[in-house]
Amino acid sequence: MQAWVAEKWTWFSGQIYDNFIKDDRYLYITNGLKATLVITFSAVILGIVIGFLIATIRSTYDKTGKLKFANAICSIYLTVIRGTPVVVQLLIIYFVIFGSVNISKIIVAIIAFGINSGAYVAEIFRSGIMSIDEGQFEAGRSLGFSYVQTMRYIVMPQAFKNVLPALGNEFIVLLKETSVAGYIALQDLAKGGDIIRSRTFSAFFPLITVAIIYLIMVIIFSRLVKLLERRLRKSDR
Amino acid sequence: MTAEIKSKEVVIADGAELIRVENLNKHYNELHALDGITETIYKGEVVVVIGPSGSGKSTFLRSLNLLEVPTSGKIIFAGVDITDPKTDLNRHRQKMGMVFQHFNLFPHKSILENITLAPVILQGMKKEEANELGMKLLQRVGLQEKATAYPSQLSGGQKQRIAIVRALAMNPEVMLFDEPTSALDPEMVGEVLDLMRELARDGMTMVVVTHEMGFAKEVATRVLFMDEGKIKEQAAPLEFFENPKNPRLQDFLSKVLI
Repeated sequence: MQAWVAEKWTWFSGQIYDNFIKDDRYLYITNGLKATLVITFSAVILGIVIGFLIATIRSTYDKTGKLKFANAICSIYLTVIRGTPVVVQLLIIYFVIFGSVNISKIIVAIIAFGINSGAYVAEIFRSGIMSIDEGQFEAGRSLGFSYVQTMRYIVMPQAFKNVLPALGNEFIVLLKETSVAGYIALQDLAKGGDIIRSRTFSAFFPLITVAIIYLIMVIIFSRLVKLLERRLRKSDR
Repeated sequence: MTAEIKSKEVVIADGAELIRVENLNKHYNELHALDGITETIYKGEVVVVIGPSGSGKSTFLRSLNLLEVPTSGKIIFAGVDITDPKTDLNRHRQKMGMVFQHFNLFPHKSILENITLAPVILQGMKKEEANELGMKLLQRVGLQEKATAYPSQLSGGQKQRIAIVRALAMNPEVMLFDEPTSALDPEMVGEVLDLMRELARDGMTMVVVTHEMGFAKEVATRVLFMDEGKIKEQAAPLEFFENPKNPRLQDFLSKVLI
C-alpha cells in the first residue's frame, strides 16, 4: 500500500515538475492569465463605450425619429457582428484589416473582442433605456430639460443601474470567449496551457489547470455580480 | 369663442391672457383626438376640464406644453408661439409646471434632489440656495423630514405633493394637472386636493383635468366639458353643474357621483 502511494506520488510530483516547473513553464500560465485579464478588461471597456454610443443612437431614433442614417449603420453593425462567429471576426481583423501592419496581438484582440462585445452591450443598454418608464422622460421634459439633459440626468442613471448585472454577465462571457485568442497565436491563458501540452506531451495537467483557473475566475465574478444585484435591489426599496 | 361666454371669467381672472390655443387638431391615425379647439386661459384662472374617458381632455392638457405634439394649430404661451419650431420650447416649458397621474418622481434621486435638480441645472441656481428653496417648499407641504428619503419610501399622496412642489420650484406661471388624484388611494386624495386648493387661493393659474367634481365645484373659476375632441360646454361652476345645457354633459353629470 505504502509502496503504491509512494509510486503515485513520484508520478504526480514528476508531472507537476515537468509541466510547470521545468524551464519555468508556469510562466506560460501566469503570463497567459495576465494577457487574458488585460484583453478582457480592456475589451469590456471598449465594448461599453461602443455599446453606449450605439444604444444612445438607436434609442434616440426610436424615441424621436432623428439620426435615421446613423441608426441604419448601427443596425448593420449589430447584424454583422452578432451574425458571425467571434473567431472569424478576430481572424479577419488580424489577417485582413491589420494584415500589413505590425501591431501587437494584444491590441488586435482587444479591438476584436471590444467590437464584438459592443454589439451585445448595445442591446443591453438599449433594453435598459427602454425599460425606463416614459413618464420619467415626460417629467424631465415638462420641467424644461432638453432631450439630451433628460437622458443624462434622469434616464441614463436609472438605465445604467438596471443593466449593471447584465454588464457583469457580459464580462464573464467575454472572459471565456477570449480563449479563442490563440487562433492568432496570442499567448493567453488557454494558449499557454496548450503550449505546455505540446512541450510535455501530457495533456491532463496543463489543460485541467487552465480550466480550473477559468472556473475560479468565473465563480468569483459571478459572486460579485450577484452581490451587486442584491445591493441594487436593496436600494430600490 | 364669443365675448359673452368669456365675460364672466375675465372678471374673476386678472385679465391678462396666458395661454391661447388656436384651432388645435390632433390625429392618432384614424382617431381625431382634438378637433379644432380654440380656447384661452387667463392669468389667475383655475380651469377644470372634465369629460368621459377618451374625450381628449388629457391630450388637450398635454398639448399645452407640447408633450403631445398637435397635428395642426397654435399654442401661444405668454405671447410666444411655442408651436413655432424656432421657439426655444425648453425655456418656455420651465414656466409651465406639470403634475402627472403617476407622479413620475425620479426614483434615483432623494426627495430634496427631486426638487432641486431642475433649478440647479436649468436656472443655474447655487446648490445651497436650491436646497434652501427645496426645504422651504417641503415645509410648505409638511414633508421636510422626508428631504433625504427616496420616492419609494413615500405614500402616494406624499409623492404627489412632492411632484407638485417639484414643479413649483421652477416658479412657473401656470400649473397643468393631469388627473393628479386618479392613481391615489381614496384616503390620500384629500391631502393633494388641499394643496391644490391652497395654490389656487394663492393665485396660481391652473388647468386641471380631473374626475373630482367636488373640487371643480369648489375651486374652479371655469369648468370645461370635453367630448369627442371638442369643448362642448363651458361655464362658471355653479352654472355648469346646476344648469348644464349640452345633452352629453347632462348625461355625463347624471352618471358621475357628485
